[in-house]
Amino acid sequence: MKRNGIWIMSLASALLLALSFGAAAEEGVTDTTINIGQWGPQTGPAAAWGSVARGTGVYFKMINDEGGINGRKIEYHMFDDAYNPAKTKAGVKELQEGKGMFAWACGVGTAPGLSVKDYLMERQIPWVGPAAGSLHWISPPQKYLFAVYPLYYSEAQILTKYAVETLGKKKVAIVYQNDDYGKNGLAGAEKQLAKHGLKLVAQVPAEVADTDMKPHVMQLRKAEADAVLLWVGPGQAARMVGTATAMQYQTRWMSTSTCSDFPFMFNITKGLWKGVIAATFGELPDSTSPLMVKYKKAFDEFAAKDERWGLFFYAGIGFVEPMVEGIRRAGRDLTRERFVKEMEGITNFKGILGRIDYAPFEPSDVYSRQGQKEVFLVECLDNGGYKKLTDWMEPD
Amino acid sequence: MTDFLQMIASGIAVGSSYALMGLAMVIIYKTSEVVNFAQGEMALLSLFLTYMVLEFHGVPYYVAFPGALLFAVFLGCFLEFAVLRRAKEPNVLGMIIITIGLEMILMGFVSWKFGADQKTMPFPIGPYESVAIGEVFVSSLEVLTFITAIVLMTILFLFFRYSKLGVAMKATQQNSMAARLMGIKTKRILMITWGISSLVGCTAGLLIAPTTMQPYMMWDPMLKGFAAAVMGGMTSLPGSVFGAYLIGIIENLFGGYISIEFKSVVAFFIIVLVLCVKPSGLFARHFVKKV
Repeated sequence: MKRNGIWIMSLASALLLALSFGAAAEEGVTDTTINIGQWGPQTGPAAAWGSVARGTGVYFKMINDEGGINGRKIEYHMFDDAYNPAKTKAGVKELQEGKGMFAWACGVGTAPGLSVKDYLMERQIPWVGPAAGSLHWISPPQKYLFAVYPLYYSEAQILTKYAVETLGKKKVAIVYQNDDYGKNGLAGAEKQLAKHGLKLVAQVPAEVADTDMKPHVMQLRKAEADAVLLWVGPGQAARMVGTATAMQYQTRWMSTSTCSDFPFMFNITKGLWKGVIAATFGELPDSTSPLMVKYKKAFDEFAAKDERWGLFFYAGIGFVEPMVEGIRRAGRDLTRERFVKEMEGITNFKGILGRIDYAPFEPSDVYSRQGQKEVFLVECLDNGGYKKLTDWMEPD
Repeated sequence: MTDFLQMIASGIAVGSSYALMGLAMVIIYKTSEVVNFAQGEMALLSLFLTYMVLEFHGVPYYVAFPGALLFAVFLGCFLEFAVLRRAKEPNVLGMIIITIGLEMILMGFVSWKFGADQKTMPFPIGPYESVAIGEVFVSSLEVLTFITAIVLMTILFLFFRYSKLGVAMKATQQNSMAARLMGIKTKRILMITWGISSLVGCTAGLLIAPTTMQPYMMWDPMLKGFAAAVMGGMTSLPGSVFGAYLIGIIENLFGGYISIEFKSVVAFFIIVLVLCVKPSGLFARHFVKKV
């Protein structure tokens, strides 16, 4: 009896030891699962971009359906922050400290992302592919933060260059959302124009809440701008073009990747978006590349029935492709340090977005954490079709 | 000079939709002293249902739009009957909180049912067609909104001044106990008020929806309409309309000549100023209860 007791005791302690080793592996990773979190506005003013988070969800479902990554399935935890930074922070903390996330994916918006950047970085929690092209993610670069979305700053440079060099425009103006997003565009346009010895003929700030765009159009008209960059949200961009049409002001409209979902833009402007040139960062919706076809199939299978196969939906897939690649390369022995090391090794990676390269962490090299640098330009055709104007381009 | 005239015209144009929202809020305030923050979202629900029948069920305009207005009246009456009337020991503050709750519920419902993507309401007049008066451009839709606002204001003004029901509504606000003693069915009056107010709000929404349609669309017009109503004195129908046009014009002039950045907030700054100088608003002859 006594011997039995010793046996049971030693068995129990061995079991306990094994369990405690298991738990010590890495936060958010078990033998069979990996916890990944994301926030995204499903309600509120920016809800149109909420499809990013749903796209990621469908991608993860597809991966799990194929058997997961190295024998582990992804447990995806998405919550609605309504584009409200206070809610983002509360939600991230709750999931991180309650359930324990291995890493965070995407997350729409500069302001919501900024509210949790320090929190995640201080705890050394990886975050891949914030869904906003802000300079804040990489200046200064952070060891655990891998940006994918090309910089709005670069987009503005490329669009401006195209306007001046290819279209021969001399009077370029910008209407920009009066926040970090818009100001990144403004800075890029100014920088590029300076290279050609030009200046913006008008720079018109727009507040997010502005619904009456007549004063903005009047300023453009006064400046006689012959090309205008629209660095605002989709709804406001639509109203700008509409109001200008009503006031019979004609110009060459150009816009950011944010407004490059042409079928959507064409629809909400009742056709006025035709002829607008925009920068974009991913393949076009009707692309027949094998990856796009595969993802479209996953979309048909896993997405909700009223979901739309648009740029922002599959951007939610593209932003996390490098993350999945990193996890795959890390193998069974998945720790955050190992994951970061594998991410740094990703070069010349091509998913459905542009080429993605990272490099070993270097505090003075912002591009060690900026994955995609290239975009290409498209023009909106009838019924929201795309005409490709350029190949993939990087700013000078 | 053209610029100046254009700014005035634009100000009047944008003021018209504020005016309609302002009118809607004043109607409820006039009878119950409740500021209805659900005003915009009540219209929102009617609008999205209208969008649904127009876009997916092929119902023609001449059925869908009157249908929307009828539904709005019903919704207004229903909310008053089913929610506000049920409040225990009602006071004005409690009622206002209830309307904020309703606002959230309605907005949440619309977001859930229809999604948050921007949509466009089919409308007989193209939202970006314009009329030129000399070198000043106004969109046809804005002309329609302007006419609607003025006509509705006149009808409502006459209704409150001369009709039996209108006078009963006024009496209910000023002293509901006395009104009840005089044989006025004050509860029914309140319900009708909500119905009429919802109708006016829905009209505003129908005129806004062709240019912008998403679950958030009514918030800004509602706030500006409220601001206009406060400026006009909260109980005066012409006052709220005048306030709305004033806000629209000032916004545009400020945006054009001083700073486009602060265009949207200048309205609220002016309201603070007005309230400091004339606390009951520019036009109010507020009824003072005798003790």
